[in-house]
Amino acid sequence: MQQLTAETFDQNARAALNDPVLHGALRNLADNFVTRRQNAIASVDDWEGLREKARAIKEETLLHLDEYLSQFVENAEKAGAKIHWARDGKEACQIVIDLVKNRDARMVVKAKSMAGEEIHLNEALERSGIEPVETDLGEWIIQLAGETPSHIVVPAIHKTKEQIADIFVEKVGIEKTDNVDVLTKTTRRILRERFAEAEVGISGVNFGVAETGTILILENEGNIRLTTSLTKTHIAVMGIEKVIPKFADLDVFLKLLPRSGTGQRLTAYQSLITGVKKNAADAGPEDVHIVLMDNGRSRMLGHPVTRQSLACIRCGACLNACPVYQQVGGHAYGSVYPGPIGAVITPQLIGISKAKQLPYASSLCGACKEVCPVKIDIPELLLHLRAEITDGTAGGSANNPERKRRFAESLAFKMYGKAWSGQFSYGLGTKAARIMQKLVVRDGKIGKASGLIAKLLPPLGAWTAWRDAPAVAPRSFREQWKDGLDKQG
Amino acid sequence: MTTAREDIIGSIRRHLAASKPFDAVHREHAGGQAEAVVNTALPAENLADVGTPLDNFGSSASLLGIHFEVAANVREAAALVESVINRIGAKDIAISDSELVAESIETIETVEFTRDASTEFLFGSDLGITSAQWAIAETGTLVLEAESENHRLISLVPPVHLCLLEASKIRQTLGEVLTLTQGNLGHAMTFVTGASRTSDIELTLAIGVHGPGELHVIVLADR
Ligand code: SF4
Repeated sequence: MQQLTAETFDQNARAALNDPVLHGALRNLADNFVTRRQNAIASVDDWEGLREKARAIKEETLLHLDEYLSQFVENAEKAGAKIHWARDGKEACQIVIDLVKNRDARMVVKAKSMAGEEIHLNEALERSGIEPVETDLGEWIIQLAGETPSHIVVPAIHKTKEQIADIFVEKVGIEKTDNVDVLTKTTRRILRERFAEAEVGISGVNFGVAETGTILILENEGNIRLTTSLTKTHIAVMGIEKVIPKFADLDVFLKLLPRSGTGQRLTAYQSLITGVKKNAADAGPEDVHIVLMDNGRSRMLGHPVTRQSLACIRCGACLNACPVYQQVGGHAYGSVYPGPIGAVITPQLIGISKAKQLPYASSLCGACKEVCPVKIDIPELLLHLRAEITDGTAGGSANNPERKRRFAESLAFKMYGKAWSGQFSYGLGTKAARIMQKLVVRDGKIGKASGLIAKLLPPLGAWTAWRDAPAVAPRSFREQWKDGLDKQG
Repeated sequence: MTTAREDIIGSIRRHLAASKPFDAVHREHAGGQAEAVVNTALPAENLADVGTPLDNFGSSASLLGIHFEVAANVREAAALVESVINRIGAKDIAISDSELVAESIETIETVEFTRDASTEFLFGSDLGITSAQWAIAETGTLVLEAESENHRLISLVPPVHLCLLEASKIRQTLGEVLTLTQGNLGHAMTFVTGASRTSDIELTLAIGVHGPGELHVIVLADR
């Protein structure tokens, strides 16, 4: 499959809008995840309070990230884990490769890890003659298909059962079946053989607890448990933002993450790993390595708006709720991280000049912000990045007074944007597409955003039917911005 | 030459410092965005008013499709274990080194049990029997501490996992269990909530993809 890039979001999105099979596959998302999430959050007394708390914990951690990371490292090392630091993806890959080679391993089993995807670890391993075997069902499917994930929680969401069955026929050699149980049982049988021979397991990390040096990984399938318990060496790749201060903080995040992501009270398994076994006879790896990776993250600390990006717990709720994602799927974003969160972190990770369209790949309807368990203000981030693109301040020094002034302006614009979208806030779910359409017509008139999403409209019959939305006199980005400033007083 | 650690910590500090002037402006405009007040104790959800830990665990377990039984004592537990073995026709059975497991299978003579099973044995086995150190009623979760019992693989690799649980080990909330376990964290602790599952194909639920496809919990009410 040809790899799409973030630079061509508009083309990618248009192609996706014309793909009826993709729409069939994506329909499940809204029907399933959105409803399940709503039911699951109803089982918590004070959902709002929980979100506030989570955000406060993240903010506290990020404001003292150097201290919490050092504490995490100290405690993890005390428990016997080996810590490695990687400035960027290339260094992280090299560390992993060296560790695999130390074991003389030619193959590794991998548990789904967005950090691993971010640094293209599989390709790096292959280049070094090491075979990476993805073991999460969705990841394995897309690995067999030679594709990339299109969702951060359910990587193969863009595929229908029929397409997956065809992949199994071609790559695994089973009879064609539309029985999901047969497909999963086949996966179990084949991957068990790989688990049996694997000496090295590679995983990601959901949370790293500073106070205890524990890493926690959540899952439903059991492949992470197998990856981290059957092998002799466990390597965990962890973004530096994954650290949280206290063990008790897990209570907050374990209530939020599964409910937001899959609509479960708790996923089937959590592995809490604190260092390495003390008794050689015990099950479990002989050595545990944690690769702490920056790869552009520390830079996001340089501004309160971008800093929020690091609070993300990768639940995927913003993808599921996003009317744009629901229509175009994950691949259109041309990035490992798709959807609203992808639209804000991709430009920061790969450089804004390579992903200029992504901050415009949104109607600012606010659905993402509303569902985010850690209350990341994604619309604010999108506007911030748009302002950087418009003003050419991207990459400028954070201490520049001129930039500070512009920042105040962009905030004012944000306020304006809020008031302006307020009248269309009917809520989420089925109405989202309608809100989107209205906002698109209006958003379509704003400076560089113009055209981009508006162009997406014509192929969509359902949307064009709603084109009775109030039209707005065309005004420039500047004018609207100024207007916003005036209202601000 | 600086190390990667120094560079990363240095970059964190530099960017945090650079953010300072913006932080104030942002707070002002955003109407006091989450001040960093951190107190993680969550309000106790008043589960105790609704039911005993055992009752609540039972209702959570049944929601999750866990095969849940309560035994009055070890003798009853043994009968329940035997009926599970018979129903699934288990022949190769791995057991952990738990005292509770040993007591519960003592009287079962129809099959053999394998202690300290090798990985090879586990891969071909039909059933794994373990106990659990704690359980969480609000979520129907078993808590397995690897340093107390050798159940890390026995609870994972066989297609069916049977767990014997002392009723006194059930706590109402996740928060309570986190507090109880934090003091002496071993190298691995696993929370198990139901059978292995996936929704990766069209979000259709499928059970038993990598871990056990069946989870049985037998609670000993007298312990
Ligand atoms: S931005 Fe929020 S909603 Fe989106 S994945 Fe991250 S935590 Fe979840």
